Amino acid sequence: MATEDVRYRQSSQYRLWSFSPSHLQTLREKTTSLAATNISNRLRASSPPVDPLPDFLTPADEAMLLNFYIVDLLRAAQFLELPSEIQATAAIFFRRFYVTHSLMTYPPRALTMTCIFFACKAEGYFYRIQKFADKFPGITSEEVLAAEYVLCQGLRFAFDVRHPYRSLEGAMMELRRLGDFDEKRLVRAHGRARDILKFSPLLTDAYFHYTPSQIMFGALAMADEGLLQRLLRDAFAGQSESAKNQVLEIVQNCRAMLEKEPPERRTTYWDASASKETMKPLNKKLKKCRDPDRVDLVALQKARREQALQKVKAKTATKEDGDVFGTSNGAKIDDERGAKRRRVAEGGDMFGPPM
Amino acid sequence: MESYSRRGQTHRRKMAVSPLIVPPTSALQNGRAVSSPLKNAASNAASAQASSNGTPVATQVVPNAAAAAQSTSLDLAEQLNEEEKRKYAKGKKLGEGTYANVYLGFLRSDPNQLVAIKKIKINKEFTEGMAPDAVREIKHLQELSHPNIITLHSVFSSKDQNLNLVLEYLPRGDLEMLIRDTENIRYGAADIKAWMGMLTRAIWFCHENFVLHRDIKPNNLLIAADGEVKLADFGLARSFSDPYRPMTSNVITRWYRPPELLFGARHYSGAVDIWSVGLVLAELVIRTPYIAGNSEFNQVELICQAVGTPTEDNWPGVTTLPNYTNAKEVIPLRGRDHYMSLFGTLGVEGVDLLMKTLSLDPKKRITARDMLKHDWWHKDPRPTRKQDLPNKSGGQAKLTEDLKRRPGVVDDDRGSKVARKLDFGAAK
Repeated sequence: MATEDVRYRQSSQYRLWSFSPSHLQTLREKTTSLAATNISNRLRASSPPVDPLPDFLTPADEAMLLNFYIVDLLRAAQFLELPSEIQATAAIFFRRFYVTHSLMTYPPRALTMTCIFFACKAEGYFYRIQKFADKFPGITSEEVLAAEYVLCQGLRFAFDVRHPYRSLEGAMMELRRLGDFDEKRLVRAHGRARDILKFSPLLTDAYFHYTPSQIMFGALAMADEGLLQRLLRDAFAGQSESAKNQVLEIVQNCRAMLEKEPPERRTTYWDASASKETMKPLNKKLKKCRDPDRVDLVALQKARREQALQKVKAKTATKEDGDVFGTSNGAKIDDERGAKRRRVAEGGDMFGPPM
Repeated sequence: MESYSRRGQTHRRKMAVSPLIVPPTSALQNGRAVSSPLKNAASNAASAQASSNGTPVATQVVPNAAAAAQSTSLDLAEQLNEEEKRKYAKGKKLGEGTYANVYLGFLRSDPNQLVAIKKIKINKEFTEGMAPDAVREIKHLQELSHPNIITLHSVFSSKDQNLNLVLEYLPRGDLEMLIRDTENIRYGAADIKAWMGMLTRAIWFCHENFVLHRDIKPNNLLIAADGEVKLADFGLARSFSDPYRPMTSNVITRWYRPPELLFGARHYSGAVDIWSVGLVLAELVIRTPYIAGNSEFNQVELICQAVGTPTEDNWPGVTTLPNYTNAKEVIPLRGRDHYMSLFGTLGVEGVDLLMKTLSLDPKKRITARDMLKHDWWHKDPRPTRKQDLPNKSGGQAKLTEDLKRRPGVVDDDRGSKVARKLDFGAAK
């Protein structure tokens, strides 16, 4: 593992959570349509069947709502005075979760809380659940924990998020070392870039498409283009102009993405009536088309635990070796068990030959 | 990623045969017939017609969490999880612990590939959701891929919401087993050098990736079928902290805990792990823990005797640490001769390396990177090739013991000497 690039490619952020724009779009479309199908089936099968079916969210609706709730999440995280990395981790957890889940399936409001709580845990900043829940009136600790497991699964058990904050500090040190700029300019750019990083990459897909340092350069370019040019000139000294331009192009693309959600948009999300007007109908639409069985996550979690308990009881009753397979349900399990029993009976080692 | 589309097809096929709604059987949904968000849609439906199977007309969709819990229509995340789960077959139980059960398993696509599946139990007493040590272990092992660090192949959840960690199968026990078995196991300087080389590379890799292990000791060093040493148990690990964020000092099993942690330092570095590495080296030579205190206080006393008393002279700033206590008598730093008399089998260079890992002042302690550059590795004897290293039967039982243990804890008679709990409240 020689270079930093090689190391980054081993990270779960790269392996599991980096996508090309088209791939990400496909995933989201699939998620949305899958949710619509499942909920339609659920509603049609209820008695009486729901007819006509409600309008379902489109991927574009989901994207708009997603950002609305992320701003909410950031607000709650700021209220808890969490360090920016943890705020960002919570936001990215939320974004990742809703790549493979629809807002129609799992209620976003509850998930914002679960993401903040779990981000604290993942960052080693342990918050007592009761203390956490007490900070938010109307939310119980049960509700915060109800979606924790689903969240972890949705994150594909990758709990490490790589942020651009430290690389910004590094870039500023580097710029000071170069000594070409007066302190006032650097302080201004530093503050601006930090402000951008705390907002824009979390409200866009930057983390899915760019590395932390690319995101940092994108923000720095937004803050002060000259500083970016100076750093690149230094980094690519002695290398071809095309190598440098290749990097520059990526950084400019990233910058263009960040510029769609500059920090000034924060207030637009917060209080502008225009935002309320777009969000209100969307939230209304969501209320009509969401999965009725997953609105109450506490009940869902209870039912899941209940079911697990029943399974354990059944297991102890039968005391079947094959139960440890437990990977499928219904008739399939019997087939598998049968096959395994036969193998064992025939004297074959079910784990294959010795090492 | 065309595999996603394949998954989609499987899903559709499955849906066609699966019941979409399981009739409510439990009392769970009692009283849950809250005002439905679908009221309008439902009343429209009521005016239309009854369902095809003749069920009576109701006026709203009754939420049914139990049905959702049993639903076989998977969303994308669940499909991905199923796919991970199906890659592995779980076989016989190797052991059962309070924290986790360990199973032998294998890769379905290649049954020769054995794995250890560690199923973490839901802790009913722990009311804070997922256990922090499980979160830490998964978080760090997901990121670290190195020949001397145990491989986490996969994580999946089973229907009953237990976490399953698919780990590398390491059937030959751990270093502690070899160290303790003085009756049957003989090894020499070349073997020690080989084991230490692998440990040093592991810890270098952790630090290079900004991870502190915080629980290095012989029974966390597992041995693979080919003799490779693998650092395991990341239940106490954490990423390097930012300078302004304090950490807990209550980590690392006591015998391997460095003086700065015993003095309650809240800001520390990879040097804490290096101290432990040094003590593993010492233990490999004398085949018994070198500094084995029976309390934190006693641990400090023994460090003073073994290494020397920390003072402002040899460790500027030490007296400002929260739990620093003035020693009655100052034992001067032990010299090279002292170490040579105890650890002479390592040779002059080996002893030099040992002394550098046991520097009282963490700022002067050698780094993992500099350890790798040390002369010792190049001197005779050359490290033993890993396939020629001594080994011991009965390793599978030991692996099980090591894996089912709660991270940061040993469950034998040494348990009392261990940093059992992290003080999260204080870490804020």
